[in-house]
Amino acid sequence: MNHLSSETFDDNAKSALVDMQLRGALRNATSLFGKRRLAAAESLQNWEELRSKARSIKDDVLLHLDQYLEQFVATAESRGAKFHWARDAAEANQIICKLIADRGGKKVVKSKSMTTEETHLNVALEAAGMEVVETDLGEYIIQLADETPSHIIVPAIHKTKRQISELFTAELGIPPTDDVDKLTATARATLRDRFAQADVGISGVNFGIAETGTILIVENEGNIRLTTSLPRTHIAVMGIEKVLPRFSDVDVFLKLLPRSGTGQRLTTYQSFITGVKQHDAAEGPDELHVVMLDNGRSRMLAHPITRQSLACIRCGACLNACPVYQQIGGHAYGSVYPGPIGAVITPQLVGLKKTAQLPYASSLCGACREVCPVKIDIPQLLLHLRGEITEAAVNVRRSEHLAFRLWAMAMSRTWVYRLSAKAGGILQGLLVRNGKIGKLNKLGWLAPPLLAWTSGRDLRPIESKSFRERWQSELKQRD
Amino acid sequence: MVSSAREEILGSIRRHLPASETFVASDEDHSLVQGESRDVGVKKDSESLIKLFAESLEAVDGHCVIVNSEEEVIAAVRRILNDLRATRLCPKRLAISDSDEIRYLVDSISPDLDEVAMTPSAAELFGFDVGLSSVQGAIAETGTLVLEADREQNRLISLVPPVHIAVLDAAKISCTLGETLEVLYRDGRVSPAITFISGPSRTADIELTLAIGVHGPQELYVVVKRA
Repeated sequence: MNHLSSETFDDNAKSALVDMQLRGALRNATSLFGKRRLAAAESLQNWEELRSKARSIKDDVLLHLDQYLEQFVATAESRGAKFHWARDAAEANQIICKLIADRGGKKVVKSKSMTTEETHLNVALEAAGMEVVETDLGEYIIQLADETPSHIIVPAIHKTKRQISELFTAELGIPPTDDVDKLTATARATLRDRFAQADVGISGVNFGIAETGTILIVENEGNIRLTTSLPRTHIAVMGIEKVLPRFSDVDVFLKLLPRSGTGQRLTTYQSFITGVKQHDAAEGPDELHVVMLDNGRSRMLAHPITRQSLACIRCGACLNACPVYQQIGGHAYGSVYPGPIGAVITPQLVGLKKTAQLPYASSLCGACREVCPVKIDIPQLLLHLRGEITEAAVNVRRSEHLAFRLWAMAMSRTWVYRLSAKAGGILQGLLVRNGKIGKLNKLGWLAPPLLAWTSGRDLRPIESKSFRERWQSELKQRD
Repeated sequence: MVSSAREEILGSIRRHLPASETFVASDEDHSLVQGESRDVGVKKDSESLIKLFAESLEAVDGHCVIVNSEEEVIAAVRRILNDLRATRLCPKRLAISDSDEIRYLVDSISPDLDEVAMTPSAAELFGFDVGLSSVQGAIAETGTLVLEADREQNRLISLVPPVHIAVLDAAKISCTLGETLEVLYRDGRVSPAITFISGPSRTADIELTLAIGVHGPQELYVVVKRA
């Protein structure tokens, strides 16, 4: 499997930047979703009010997470749901594999779930000898190609229909076609058989409602409805932060999530599942198991800045708005969650050691904060994480440390500042060519920041006369 | 071990949340934000709700037929089946769900069909071309159908066949999502399975090209019966 690592983000990004097909696809997707989101937000009179309301509900949930979780679990249990708690990804996968094995199951259908991507559930299921198939069209394509999703909402955004046709020809034996309807119909027909035979259906959860014990899952294709209706056992995997207090809170979040994600007023389907069916004749699974996943989430509650990352509803709007994501796509981040939200969540989930480049994968322009339906201040989070990286001195170059120490010294003493400006003005004569400072790559001894800066652009030389000097002399001339 | 994971996770939450105080529900402001669409004014009478529902449904690629009586429902369903006969969907087998409200349709639908069955099993349903059900509610501002599975076995009939025809009693249309949620939450509880449907199944996963009918129905018809 072609997994990129977060540790090599800079190199991943460089490779992505020369992939013109990828950049074309990203341009189309991000601009289309950006425009649709804006139109959908403008169709509501009180978008800003809704965002604030959503954030205040989420803040309330996070500040009382233990109480809402206990309420959610108690209500859902009273309706027949069974709960399982997983401290980390491995424990979640172990619980799920055991649930399936205990039921003599082997064939698993799965609907799209970022949380199970996070635990790498498919790898664990396959290792346990299960046959697992992703049923969301994009996820199915990714699974056939043995790749990873590159966008939260459109997982196969990096693939062309020609590539998908070649994939289907090789894996499913259909004649080559560039007709999207035919490709879709092929996936439908193939997956129908898998649905009909499945022992267990595994889904994610968008919201868990404490008041009623309901899990709510949203989608467009219908595969989630099939996954949660046909097999006898339904296993839902839910991050512990996904609780909402009241059934009526769904109103606010169903207005924000689809509009922010795809620009729809509502996605085609919403499934509200509360426990299990109440009599044998009714439709639906006999059993509902909910796996509650921590995997680093409870730790994020400790600080008000990091706590807000748990408000995320996984809409993908910040990906589409981000000028960095728009150019490099999701794979370069080397993590399950890409884009601005990925750059803040991933380091908190897996630790800064292997992800120290991610909080720098942003120009801090603030576009992500503007579009976030729950007003997560992602730039603030990025700065917070950068601060932690610097304090822990993870991957920080000694020369950079020294440069900033000198900088701080010079900037806090007027005479040093003036002196160094003068000295710089004289010494730069060695570097200036044609009135500008060009590539400095011949000067290996120079501090790396200057090297990086001048590799793609010219640096303006320091003026021979400072503003202060000009001010003084021009004042004199007037007199 | 399972229970210890639960205690450990809740313990970790409490340890990391020194700010968490005892929560008193009544202290919180539970007022709903009214986030209605711009095009929803004060029009709340039945006719304007029907009109808004029909417009919203067609905006998400569903078809709406408005009729006045049971006889007209029968005629409308026949016409839909007849029109489909000319397409490649060409329906031959029709599944009808077990609702009292549409039982009269079972014997009165076109004899040109090979089979008309009441609530076939999940496995049988894969061979049917059309699913016909009633629905328990609708949202006008989004063109959404509301299904409550404990009151009718319409969960799979509305999903598995390539065509879904829904019969909607106009009196069950609410204006907004918020109003519908209030209707669904009765006596402190909700039905085991509630499904919202807005238009036919869709995807744009291949090069953002819209494809209709990926896992669910390709065609959605709603016959709205005036009260």
